[in-house]
Amino acid sequence: MAKRILITDDALFMRVTLKNILTQNGYEVVGEAANGVESVELYKQLKPDVVTMDITMPEMDGLQALKEIRALDPNASIVMCTAMGQKNMVVEAIQAGAKDFIVKPFQPDRVLEAMSKLAA
Amino acid sequence: MMKVQYVSPFAEAAVSVFEMLVGMTPERGQLAARPQLFTTQQVNIVCGITGPVEGLVIYGTSMNSALKIASKMIGMPVTQFDQLVASAIGELGNMITGNSASLLAAQGFGCDITPPTIIRGTNVKITTVDIPALVIPLNLKELGTFEVNVSLQERRKLAA
Ligand SMILES: [Mg+2]
Repeated sequence: MAKRILITDDALFMRVTLKNILTQNGYEVVGEAANGVESVELYKQLKPDVVTMDITMPEMDGLQALKEIRALDPNASIVMCTAMGQKNMVVEAIQAGAKDFIVKPFQPDRVLEAMSKLAA
Repeated sequence: MMKVQYVSPFAEAAVSVFEMLVGMTPERGQLAARPQLFTTQQVNIVCGITGPVEGLVIYGTSMNSALKIASKMIGMPVTQFDQLVASAIGELGNMITGNSASLLAAQGFGCDITPPTIIRGTNVKITTVDIPALVIPLNLKELGTFEVNVSLQERRKLAA
């Protein structure tokens, strides 16, 4: 069965780009969130296998959403996908339970590599 | 006076983001100073920087160039500045600002950034305080030009 993904990014362009990469490679995109609040809400409803998480977003940023989803489900698989690549952001995200950290702009292969590393 | 060391990361990040995202290497033009932050461009992306250095960065370009850049990003020609195109151009600014923040962090200024806002229209003047701006024009060859306007200052220390 295809892995079910929830995409989180405030930019429509990024959601479309990620959705194309994932669906063309056999993943099912079950939801799209435009901020951290929507992501936490959709996580509860959809129980996706993997969440992609932008950081810089209105309403609630991706680090806060990461922490809230991990508090709801300590096994949640969340891959950060953000333009903010500085060390302290990476450390904070990994300590909060993020499984991988992709810095934008990225090559499609980098996203697929992150997805395939996560257990089926 | 605004320090050039805050501006170089934006030029460096802009060049590498254009290389990866648009597939071309911009040529850096002459750095210029302006007494205030403003833009005469048709399409402007405004991003905020908060932290030990704070302020605003505006990326400006023409509508024609914005459509050409967005066409490369989206992977097909676009002729209307619709929601998808606006979000692509906004995300371009977000990526440049995010990559710049990493370079600033490496200099010891760990900053956060705000989501991009797109402002269309010319002669946009934004600051209420007179922080001077430094401007770096990038020559995108057949795609046109892309201006990087940086207006940052060290956060004022609060009096004890
Ligand atoms: Mg974002």
